[in-house]
Amino acid sequence: MFSFFASTEFQTVLSALNTGFVKTLQLFFVTLVGAVPLGLVISFGSMSRIPPLRWLTKTVVWMVRGTPLVLQIIALYYVPGLKGFHIWSGGESGRFTAVAVAFVINYACYFSEIYRGGIQGVPVGQQEAGLVLGMTKRQIFFKITLLQMIKRIVPPMSNEIITLVKDTSLARVVALQEVIWMGESFMKGNQGYAGLVWPLFFTAVYYLAFSGIATILLGKLEKKLEYFH
Amino acid sequence: MMKHKKFWALLLALAMVLSLAACGGKDADSDKSGDSGTPAAAPEDQKTGDAESGQADADSDLAYVQGKGTLVVGMTDFAPMDYRDADGSWIGFDADMASAFAESLGVTVEFQEITWDYKVMELDAKSIDCVWNGMTLNDEVKAAMDTGNAYCLNAQVLVVPADRAADFENLTSLEGLNVAVESGSAGEDAAEALGASTTAVAKQADALMEVSAGTADAAVIDLLMAGAMIGEGTNYANLTYTVNLNTAQGLESEEYGVGFRKGSDLVAAWNEFWAAAIADGSVLETGTTYGVQESLILE
Repeated sequence: MFSFFASTEFQTVLSALNTGFVKTLQLFFVTLVGAVPLGLVISFGSMSRIPPLRWLTKTVVWMVRGTPLVLQIIALYYVPGLKGFHIWSGGESGRFTAVAVAFVINYACYFSEIYRGGIQGVPVGQQEAGLVLGMTKRQIFFKITLLQMIKRIVPPMSNEIITLVKDTSLARVVALQEVIWMGESFMKGNQGYAGLVWPLFFTAVYYLAFSGIATILLGKLEKKLEYFH
Repeated sequence: MMKHKKFWALLLALAMVLSLAACGGKDADSDKSGDSGTPAAAPEDQKTGDAESGQADADSDLAYVQGKGTLVVGMTDFAPMDYRDADGSWIGFDADMASAFAESLGVTVEFQEITWDYKVMELDAKSIDCVWNGMTLNDEVKAAMDTGNAYCLNAQVLVVPADRAADFENLTSLEGLNVAVESGSAGEDAAEALGASTTAVAKQADALMEVSAGTADAAVIDLLMAGAMIGEGTNYANLTYTVNLNTAQGLESEEYGVGFRKGSDLVAAWNEFWAAAIADGSVLETGTTYGVQESLILE
């Protein structure tokens, strides 16, 4: 057993899977950094007092949440090129950019609904209290609503974040070489090894380790925010 | 307060416009077909679009490739045609010949792994310049691409567990068998034509795993790949291949070719390059290196 972990087969596969998992993590963090603020903007849109803006936002959210992410990735990557607009640079980097844009838009739409729930879950009485004290709308949002909203959305956001880690595997549909692609590559043949099935299943270790860490960190955040009631 | 409201409204409007622009593939689509006045004829529309952009860049696909200085070869990991050596660089019969072809054009070769089902889209979207990966010249390929002359022969073979090989000898029908095949492959067509119930999987290697795991009775893959991947000394030592499905159907062998965009002048450049490479013996030499010399077409 020990000798297997020291074997060149294991080392070769491990370094390939590491390369793939770095891609997975890049996609994960880029998506979070883009989707967390964009989701807030979209949630404002869907709560707007201006009806056309509200309808437009809700239609976009419906379309994005109502179609499979894998289809959005394929459409976003291939359709512009097929129509003669070569907006994605060739090779790996273009693929990554296209996939990242698809993920940010998709996840921002899901986040926006979580934010909306969080904002609207703060009792109206608190906003009214703010108004009575002469606070502006902006002050009320940032000083009263926002922090309470953050506390409320941590559990549902944790859910989405853990789903996101695993959803990154959809990116391999346009040949982005993330960790599952790398695992599968040893079945067909990669760096002199062919017909290996274990690397594919071994990728689970990476996902489990990462979601374990994420769960612990998000649990700590939840505890930290517990002083609100 | 009014001021803040306006500020937010403006910010939101801006954000919505930006996000719409980002996912506006469909919009651009409908605009374009509206312009050309033939909304129903989508493929036609696309062709004129390509021709226009082709003319804008230069007159030909060859000039386009030489202009950007790289030939992007779309392929998958497919020993012995394209695969990575221990250092991670691409080798194989197709990979080596593709490098030589790029050199003859005066450009650098770039290998791009693709998802096989999307090869036509990759080509038309210009994210790759050719498909060169032991590609069987079937109807789908011929309809969607312009291809160079066939350079290699291939057949579809039935892969079965070695200890059951005797049961499958001289079969002329696959009825009642559950056969794993690569989705969209020539093997899928052959298995279906012989009456098998098929399980479509993503790659030929997945099909081998199905047989190995006992979840399928047999698999259909390319002869060239079967020669390289199964039998003694490989990770699928318990498998073997028996029936040649092309013979069983009374068909000719299949041919491999290189695919280019429709109307591309790279096809002529490729045919010229290949004839020269046959003449100077480099095709045979490279083929011998990778053990495919028996299958080559040397005119």
